[in-house]
Amino acid sequence: MVESEEQKRSPIIQKKLMESNSQNMATLISPRFKSAAAMAGWDEEALLLATLIVEDTPVRDSKHKKRFVLNSKSPHNNSSRKRRVLRNPRPIVLDLDEEETPKKDNGKKKKEKKNCVSEGINKVEENENKLTEKNSTTASALPCIDKLREELSCAICLEICFEPSTTPCGHSFCRKCLRSAADKCGKKCPKCRQLISNGRSCTVNTVLWNTIQLLFPQEIEARKVMSTTNNRQAASQIVIPETTFYTNTRNRSIQPIYPSSRRNDIDEDAALARILQRQIDTTTTRVHRNQTSSSSSSSNNVGRVRTRRGVSTNQDEDAAFALRLQREEFLQAFKSNSSSNHEEQPSSSSSTTSLGRANLRAMATRAMNLRNSRNRRM
Amino acid sequence: MISGTSSWLPATSVSASGKRIQREMVELNNDPPPHCSAGPKGDNLYHWIATIIGTPGTPYQGGIFFLDIIFPTDYPFNPPQVVFKTRIYHCNVEPDGHVSMGILKDGWSPALTITKVLLAVRSLLTNPDPYNAVVPGIAHLYLGDRAKHDDIAAEWTVRFAK
Repeated sequence: MVESEEQKRSPIIQKKLMESNSQNMATLISPRFKSAAAMAGWDEEALLLATLIVEDTPVRDSKHKKRFVLNSKSPHNNSSRKRRVLRNPRPIVLDLDEEETPKKDNGKKKKEKKNCVSEGINKVEENENKLTEKNSTTASALPCIDKLREELSCAICLEICFEPSTTPCGHSFCRKCLRSAADKCGKKCPKCRQLISNGRSCTVNTVLWNTIQLLFPQEIEARKVMSTTNNRQAASQIVIPETTFYTNTRNRSIQPIYPSSRRNDIDEDAALARILQRQIDTTTTRVHRNQTSSSSSSSNNVGRVRTRRGVSTNQDEDAAFALRLQREEFLQAFKSNSSSNHEEQPSSSSSTTSLGRANLRAMATRAMNLRNSRNRRM
Repeated sequence: MISGTSSWLPATSVSASGKRIQREMVELNNDPPPHCSAGPKGDNLYHWIATIIGTPGTPYQGGIFFLDIIFPTDYPFNPPQVVFKTRIYHCNVEPDGHVSMGILKDGWSPALTITKVLLAVRSLLTNPDPYNAVVPGIAHLYLGDRAKHDDIAAEWTVRFAK
């Protein structure tokens, strides 16, 4: 079978191989291996050739053939030479396996996404194969999430740590919780009563904070959004300033009582739409800056997204983008919620609002689709 | 039930202390400590009622002891007040029912929860602390004549806690 393989190679290559390897043939094949090969009915030359063809031609017609050759030789992997040969095709084998590991990661991400972004996000056009794959992974993703939640919650407020700060003794709390604990209960660790050095304890443990943000985007976003919705002006900013969670919870009760004027609401919706649009635009251009297609009007985003997806991007950018999108979604949801409390709105303005909302939703969906597909590619 | 982590917009707004108390309530319902129970007395989230069942092998065996728990407005940064509503013969419980315990005074830590407080009270029933007693007479008896102390405590349990 190997012979037929070899005949496909050009005679020149064969000759070269013979030349280059005849000198070090003795060192390449150990006597033990030779005898084993002889027992299997292989003549030395054919063996050598078969070996070298695999090794010296990294690009073959197909993976299939390569593995076929590999399999045919697999019984004789005693010599070091053979092992080297076997190591070469390994990336191919690993390729198959590597699909498993990112799949798990994707499963995690997808699960989070599913939780955060409500409907319409997951109906992406894709083959069924990937769909089933995705479903199977989401079901099995992170069974220990409850343990994690427990582990990552602040002992003072009993919620997921928000901007965790770690004491010298190694215990982590929300930065604000730890600060008020130090103010009111003395400068000792709430968990082990060890002394906390002055003021130092108010730095955020970034690794922990990032981990928490990745694991519980929903909770963290909820808190952040609550701070934004209170701070009306903050709606126009892309980067939301950190604000006190607790002051927000206090202020929140005021909001329904003194709702801002409808005019204002609509303006904000429009502003939101503009922001989101800008974000999508910038991200798509950033994502596809390697490509040389013309960036035309923003109206045909869908086309651009679809044709140019699959370009590898910075993970951080992705994460930041997703976070921003989620934030906008929450904002949006909150707005629609509060505006439904107003008994009646002028028909014209309500139609504008709903139009803006629909636009926003569509844009968010598109963006998430883009992200989804990119995830799947990676 | 209570506004959990999943609902990002609770129906009512609560202060930080209220939020924390609500969470404690949820956790207490999900995973109640052995032989203890606790919950808000009525609408007031800051006023709880709790029960502790006397540990077998102690003079308080078989008794059901009711306690009032009053949370300060800046809970968890200040300790809750724990008061026995059922009369109990114990050197660390004042005649009016106030429990005298380190963790309910200077030893309080915001990381402590009602679950832990109840467990501490329960272990205090098992192991009284006569050296930090608020009722010296009972502490003396406990140190001097343990059997008599236990008899009286058991008698009180039968009289008041059953």
